[in-house]
Amino acid sequence: MFILRMVWRETRAVWRRLLFFYICVAIGVGAIVAIRSIIQNVRVTLVGEARAIFGADVMASTSRPWRPETVQAIEQFLQGRPVQYTSVVETSTMVRPEREDRPAARMVELKAVEPGFPFYGRIELESGQPYRHALLADGGVVVQRDLLLQLGIGVGDRIMIAGQPFTVRDVVTREPGRQVSTFTLGSRVFIDLQALRQLNLLGFGSRASYRTLVKVADDTDAPRLSRALGRAVRDEFVQVRHYRGTEAGINEDLARAEDYLSLVGFVIVVLGGIGVWSVTRVFMQQKIRSIAILKCLGASGRQVLGTYVAQMALLSAAGGLSGVLVAYGALAAIPEYLVALLPSGRPDLTLSASVQGVAVGLLVSVLFALVPLLETRAIKPLLLLRADTAMQARRRDWVAWASYAIVAAGLAAVAAWQAGSLEASLYVMGGLAGVGLVLHLASSVLVRAVRPLTRARAFAVRHAVISLGRPGNQTRVVLLTVGLGAFFILAIQHVQANLLNAFSLELSDDSPDMFLIDIQRDQEAGVRALVDGRAIEPAKLIPVMRARVVGVAGRDVNLEAYDDVRRRGLGREYVITYRSHLEANEVMQAGELWEGPVPDGGTPDVSIEEGIARRGIGIGDRMRFDIAGREIEARVTSIREVDWSEARNGGFMFVFRPGPFEDAPRTFIALVRAPREPAARAALQRDLITSYPNVSAIDIREIIRTIQGVVQNITLAITIVGVIALGSGMLILIGAVAMTRFQRHYEAAIYRTLGASTRRLTAMVAVEYGVLGTLAGLLGAGGAVALSWAVTTRLLEMAWEPAIHIAAIGVAATAAVVLMVGLSASLDVLVKKPLGSLRGE
Amino acid sequence: MIELHGVTKVVRSGAGELTILHPLTLTIEAGRTAAITGPSGSGKSTLLGLIAGLDAPTSGRIVVDNVTLTRLDEEKLARLRGSRIGIVFQFFHLIPSLTALENVMVPLELADRPDARTRAESLLADVHLSDRGHHYPSQLSGGEQQRVAIARALANNPAVLLADEPTGNLDSATGRQVIEILLDVNKRKGTTLVLVTHDPALAAMADVTIRLRDGRIEEADGSRRGGERGSGAPASDEARRGAGDPAV
Repeated sequence: MFILRMVWRETRAVWRRLLFFYICVAIGVGAIVAIRSIIQNVRVTLVGEARAIFGADVMASTSRPWRPETVQAIEQFLQGRPVQYTSVVETSTMVRPEREDRPAARMVELKAVEPGFPFYGRIELESGQPYRHALLADGGVVVQRDLLLQLGIGVGDRIMIAGQPFTVRDVVTREPGRQVSTFTLGSRVFIDLQALRQLNLLGFGSRASYRTLVKVADDTDAPRLSRALGRAVRDEFVQVRHYRGTEAGINEDLARAEDYLSLVGFVIVVLGGIGVWSVTRVFMQQKIRSIAILKCLGASGRQVLGTYVAQMALLSAAGGLSGVLVAYGALAAIPEYLVALLPSGRPDLTLSASVQGVAVGLLVSVLFALVPLLETRAIKPLLLLRADTAMQARRRDWVAWASYAIVAAGLAAVAAWQAGSLEASLYVMGGLAGVGLVLHLASSVLVRAVRPLTRARAFAVRHAVISLGRPGNQTRVVLLTVGLGAFFILAIQHVQANLLNAFSLELSDDSPDMFLIDIQRDQEAGVRALVDGRAIEPAKLIPVMRARVVGVAGRDVNLEAYDDVRRRGLGREYVITYRSHLEANEVMQAGELWEGPVPDGGTPDVSIEEGIARRGIGIGDRMRFDIAGREIEARVTSIREVDWSEARNGGFMFVFRPGPFEDAPRTFIALVRAPREPAARAALQRDLITSYPNVSAIDIREIIRTIQGVVQNITLAITIVGVIALGSGMLILIGAVAMTRFQRHYEAAIYRTLGASTRRLTAMVAVEYGVLGTLAGLLGAGGAVALSWAVTTRLLEMAWEPAIHIAAIGVAATAAVVLMVGLSASLDVLVKKPLGSLRGE
Repeated sequence: MIELHGVTKVVRSGAGELTILHPLTLTIEAGRTAAITGPSGSGKSTLLGLIAGLDAPTSGRIVVDNVTLTRLDEEKLARLRGSRIGIVFQFFHLIPSLTALENVMVPLELADRPDARTRAESLLADVHLSDRGHHYPSQLSGGEQQRVAIARALANNPAVLLADEPTGNLDSATGRQVIEILLDVNKRKGTTLVLVTHDPALAAMADVTIRLRDGRIEEADGSRRGGERGSGAPASDEARRGAGDPAV
């Protein structure tokens, strides 16, 4: 009871001074609650709509045309069962307006459907009328609004797909499973499946996905039916899945995403925790006398410690609850255009996120407060008689060390709980400890580096630097937190600068900037002729085939069946080519390239990329490929390294020795340096698809623009985290200034008594915070340059250039912000009359 | 009763060891008033701190109200102070975040007294501060603060009341008031009172005067000299009369 009464009295008296404690907790908790709530909302929506997204109860899919025997097996299996089924084919192609005065052409994603589609979910149309298959009958299509904008046409106009005219009957605004935010090759166009089959688009070498959607009467049958169908099909390239698997998958992925993203919140809470620690430390220093009095009056150490721990817990809980309010406000404040990207619509606070946030805030802040609070044990009541015994340097006894260990273990446990993974928590804790240690050492070095200034001739500089080292100073804590915030922001700006730099370099150099794909053999000469004279240089045509690895017989790896291949990570379809030379972006790593074609009757040779070699395949191994239905065995004779950042000159995992493919069915891709002027570019694309409707043109410049947009969005997200971190740093700075206010008032009064003018005092404060801010900026910028170097060269494997201007602006901005914050927080110190302060002491 | 047997205090300072108190043996009988005087640095406050159990002697034994302090750990000492020893300081040392009434309530609450509030109110009434109970220390004058401190020190009816220069920070009229209260408590309740003071007039009011110089007892007026077994002797009649006379 005594403890509770004391908590109430203490809090009543000092809550204003502990406001920063409270805000530090609130911000971190707000971050956790908001992040978790958003993802939980998305998860609930997606899982609830899993079947609509999946579009069926059971689905058989393949990325190559159906084999007749597979189709037969599926039909045989499904007939006579209480099910409905329908087929869907998706492929991409170019479209253009029918009207000759519109020179635009665009890549689109065609979705060809039958009358039963969709089984689940609703396709929403701009006209408001319900979707019916009749809209697609007799040459009708339904498209997305942005295609109409790109082509400059409207509903009722006609577009050309593979040389045939189609009428735009309506605009689709929502399609289950297709998010606005998803990366797509182009706009969606719905078309009738029969109509698609009559177009010459599903021919050899085309890329299309084929699906059979099945709806069962009783959806609990889905998993069983799915397994049975899988057994019946017996086609290794066909996948049979059911929606519950997808549901579980979405659930799991999002749960993991939620946990990992919550670590971002956790890091912010830890930054807040550092603030809590620093506020508590100063608070305890100011409470030394009260604690001595309590001990003198007979309070036990446990009662004193209990009082302050309970007080901090109470404040943390209050801060945590305000954090929930902060999160509520943040969710309400998400701009509409961002809400549109979320499948859930505007997210609501969830109870579980709120409870977790408050609990994490409480645990972390009590853990951080515990270290300074434990120092109350060392306070001796004797100091009331003899002030010199106030704070004797105390050896860190085992209790202190044990408490540090408990705090560290406690933080790791909270992180593990939040991340749902012990490993991730250890990484985060290790990372935090590492960054903390480095910043701590660096700040020691920096503080030491400015020490000679204590002998500077200018009064303000001399005393400002002395102030940085005053007893009970918060210099290192402020350096640590502000430095960390600056570090986040500058590092991501730095990486972004390098990324954008790399892309713009590639845009300005002499590489091809348009790909033409699916050029048939009989179109090779025609395409070449059409491009020549209009492009900047003649087109380069490369023969390509699509292949799968179906077996490996090697020294280290032996893969018999396609399933084994898939488990090795080699299961995808590869685009391959054949030639007898290396490209400019290739370097031979091992072995030698052949000269000339394979001699008659010889074994084909293949050169593999080092990424394949890393999967355990080496020179001399034999690999079996399925190339357009024909099985070919080839011997690995060399390993190449491809510079993928220069892949616009072509990059292939497998390059074959010419010879065996002279008569094989193949298509060509063309690398074109298209004209720069948008009009000439559009005209070239349009003329190409008018003459060769099956050929698609991929505009690299447009893709790079899309990627730049993505990079900017990611940058924005990380910058927000950085701003919050920097904000925490600022709070700690304001807190530090506020907490040492009494001491500063007293000092300022003495300076004034000794004849210092307000201007001089202001100069002192300004220099102090200017130096502090510059040091923090230097810390952040130094760390940012190092991190961006590591990320750019090691992770992204790109050229790195120090962005000196960003570092310089960062240092200047940090110094300016710290200076402003410090000065405004010290305003009252600068204007107060000295006598009051001296009497007050 | 307060007994000190061969008590010394040695502190380690930068240069070497510094002896603050040389072996000291002393007895103050229960119900007496004793004044400890001496120049600055003579060891007065250290001696008071040792009796209060705020510090441990380097050697020797201290017994207060039949409890041997030197055998107790920090927590037990705190409990002992809470129940049997009241302390009044020169700088009052009220808890700034608590009101006057709450300051007085703290020792009562620590002792789990259910009547903490009513008792604190009556203690404040005893020092004529009934109407200032809801004021914070910063809103009280020095004399008022010291009276609150005395009320607080007396909260649990201590057997021993220790005062470290209780008037040192007060003007003479206010100081006199405070002294009256302290001596009155001694007289009415038989509380043993030990004062550290610079003020010869105040010292003269005590039954016993212990004069310290350089950590040794220079003179124990009214008691036998320390060094061997000693006990407090009755003080002179003049001193007792003086206690009741505000003009002194």
